[in-house]
Amino acid sequence: MERKNFLRSLVIGAISTPVILEACKKSSTTTSEVGTTTTTTGGSSTASCAVAPTETEGPFPTKVPSSYVRSDITDGRSGYKLTAKIVIGNSNNNCNPLANAIVDIWHCDAEGNYSEYGGSGMQATNYQSVHFLRGRQTTDTNGLVTFTSIFPGWYSGRATHIHVHVYNAAGTSLKVTQIAFPEGTSSAVAAVNGYSKGMSGYTYNKSDNVFSDDSSGIEIATVTGSTTAGFVLNMQISVPA
Amino acid sequence: MKKRIITLCYRKIIDVNSNKPWEKLVFEDSYKEFKMQAQFYNQDKKYNIFSELIHNVKGSEKLHFLVSGAIIDYLRKLNDIVPDIANNIGKPFLTFKHFKFEIINSDLRNIDKHVIAINFYSEPLIWHDTIAPYLLTSPIIATEGDVLTDMFAIQPFLTIHSIK
Repeated sequence: MERKNFLRSLVIGAISTPVILEACKKSSTTTSEVGTTTTTTGGSSTASCAVAPTETEGPFPTKVPSSYVRSDITDGRSGYKLTAKIVIGNSNNNCNPLANAIVDIWHCDAEGNYSEYGGSGMQATNYQSVHFLRGRQTTDTNGLVTFTSIFPGWYSGRATHIHVHVYNAAGTSLKVTQIAFPEGTSSAVAAVNGYSKGMSGYTYNKSDNVFSDDSSGIEIATVTGSTTAGFVLNMQISVPA
Repeated sequence: MKKRIITLCYRKIIDVNSNKPWEKLVFEDSYKEFKMQAQFYNQDKKYNIFSELIHNVKGSEKLHFLVSGAIIDYLRKLNDIVPDIANNIGKPFLTFKHFKFEIINSDLRNIDKHVIAINFYSEPLIWHDTIAPYLLTSPIIATEGDVLTDMFAIQPFLTIHSIK
């Protein structure tokens, strides 16, 4: 098989021969690194003798932070502006501020949808809002992280909420929790009125399967502001660090 | 041969044996992100292996999407050019705007078990002819005069993804 290929390649032109043989060698090394499911190609069929890329190598890439590391998580989603200020305290240290903790937050958009893979599972590289309303920040010496987002919408079965996952600096999970929103006639939830959905069928905190057992209201944030000026949310979360 | 419009898919597997700089960064950062994100689906610390999570924990299939957030900026650094695939004169020629990231398997205790795949979906090509084993194609751009073409062979992990 290999001899036939060699003779055939001589017919194409003497110059091209070494390139093809070299490529067969190269392609078998590049494909055999890809894991246990590959069979080595060994150049026994011309179809696998693909020429390996030969071009000036570009500058070597440098480490980039995860695309979640950003303070503004709006990603073009429409909604009332919300500034979320979350302070993390260490429950093993009198709830003193916990610095250098990693805080992930995520929530749904005005329609009640989370960012996730679409039906085909394809993502676009130039589509900024692929991970909309998901973000990561590290607490400062005051234990504070700030996010700029939109006021969340709601979906059937749940009260308005923001998911929070707190990790230590090494990425070990310290707490998975959710932030609840105050209710009542003068509350932000009432002012936003569920965006275009309205509040028909809305689940209030006392009926919510996550918040209904929170009798002391420890999971409820303080929210001020208006639909015109935007809202500010303040929340304190204690974690065992 | 009648001209067809095709898109290709190149499925790039990255594992502990991948040793090019870009591959190593994607490998390490996707593993770190997996270890962080998996904890949400493993709060009882019952599982260590990705396949166990996927089989047992409802919603954990979101991990493919969630972990992709760690490496999307590395994909942007490729400047829309599909890596590893060259035409018959050794030049990368496939461009992509869409991809799909997959975790094939992983282990919270051992980075050696981490295997991921990036599916690169090429921009459409006109498939003019086949001169075995090479396909003769060109990108869809309006040209006057000669149409510039590429010749390439279908190789492992490269497939025609769609055709019309």
